[in-house]
Amino acid sequence: MAQTVNSVTSGVTLPSLGQVTTPDPYHELETKYIFGFTEGADIGAEGEKSIEFETTTASGLRGGTYAALEQEVEFESVPTQNFGYELSAHGLGFSVNDVPGMPDAHGANFSGLSAEFRYLVIGRGPGSPVGVTIVAEPEWARIDDGGQPITDFNMTFRGILDTELIPNRLYAATNIFYTPDYARSPGESWEWSAEYGVSAALAYRFTPKLTMGAEIEYDTAYDGAGIQSFQGQALYLGPTLHIQFNGHVMLAAAWSTEIAGHASGENFGLDLTNFPHQQGNLKFEVEF
Amino acid sequence: MRMVSTAVLSLAFVIGVGAPLAVADDAARVSVTLKDHKFSPAEPTAPAGKPIIIDVSNLDSTPSEFESKTLRVEKVVPGGGKIAVQIRPLGPGRYRFFDDYHEDTTEGFLIVK
Repeated sequence: MAQTVNSVTSGVTLPSLGQVTTPDPYHELETKYIFGFTEGADIGAEGEKSIEFETTTASGLRGGTYAALEQEVEFESVPTQNFGYELSAHGLGFSVNDVPGMPDAHGANFSGLSAEFRYLVIGRGPGSPVGVTIVAEPEWARIDDGGQPITDFNMTFRGILDTELIPNRLYAATNIFYTPDYARSPGESWEWSAEYGVSAALAYRFTPKLTMGAEIEYDTAYDGAGIQSFQGQALYLGPTLHIQFNGHVMLAAAWSTEIAGHASGENFGLDLTNFPHQQGNLKFEVEF
Repeated sequence: MRMVSTAVLSLAFVIGVGAPLAVADDAARVSVTLKDHKFSPAEPTAPAGKPIIIDVSNLDSTPSEFESKTLRVEKVVPGGGKIAVQIRPLGPGRYRFFDDYHEDTTEGFLIVK
């Protein structure tokens, strides 16, 4: 890497000295996916379109064995400099044995559709050290987490804030979110439930293409759309990985383990009634 | 929930889609050319607080993609072609742009002051 002493971070030309530098290989990095389950505030550049394959796993519920794998295929577009959206189709594979309140089930099925609308309130960059984005994610599901038929409408509202603690190297983000859920199983009445959460993440760019970090997330579950009936809480901790192969291909992965929790009416150290013990996420994006 | 959802999505649509329409009025124009995969000028200037239109002329025979993470735009410039990129009002600073097909060698900075 041939760089002059005075322009290591910027890679600029210094015509007065007749010096020409090569650009800094640590270009700006889009933060949307570098924090794992926690989201970064970037929405992409106006004109971007991409296809994304996202796999989310969940395993470990109290009393039995439980594993689920959700596969999403997503189309993403950024029509303006402040607004982006995604449209997604979901499939779910599931294996449930002896989990209280869940029928034993094994199989895979088309599970629903969702969308995501992102509005960039403050763009991180020369004019602002922080980025702020608000997100609305409506979803329709036709089977529940255990593979049983259901009609479910939910919407996650998410607030995102991120910053660069060291420019183009060390990033930090925090999210707050609220997901009201309105669902009905066959032969039963409609019921509200809700989840609230907050998360924080750090990510360090070890090479221009490789970023790794860690995140922590606190989730709570309630019956009803508000906070009237507490059901449980869980604290997750785990590592994150992000590889930007080139300007058009990206891979991101995250793994989170419930390290503390409590379910209403139980005396265990984890809430494995409302939340899984392990969660994983893998994203592969191709921009075109 | 349906009313809330509709309101949020409508707001996002109006704000988001409406943004570029507002940029075109009284915009400052900046011209940049690409030749031999180099931007000229490499550091054009523009006034802060005003919408900006960057005219990019590609004098090379091969296509380029004008892109910037901080300006939040990307647009293909055909070989021998010209594009205009609308930018929202910006605060003072250095905003990096590059040719996405040659990012490691082809970059410039929009100096806003």
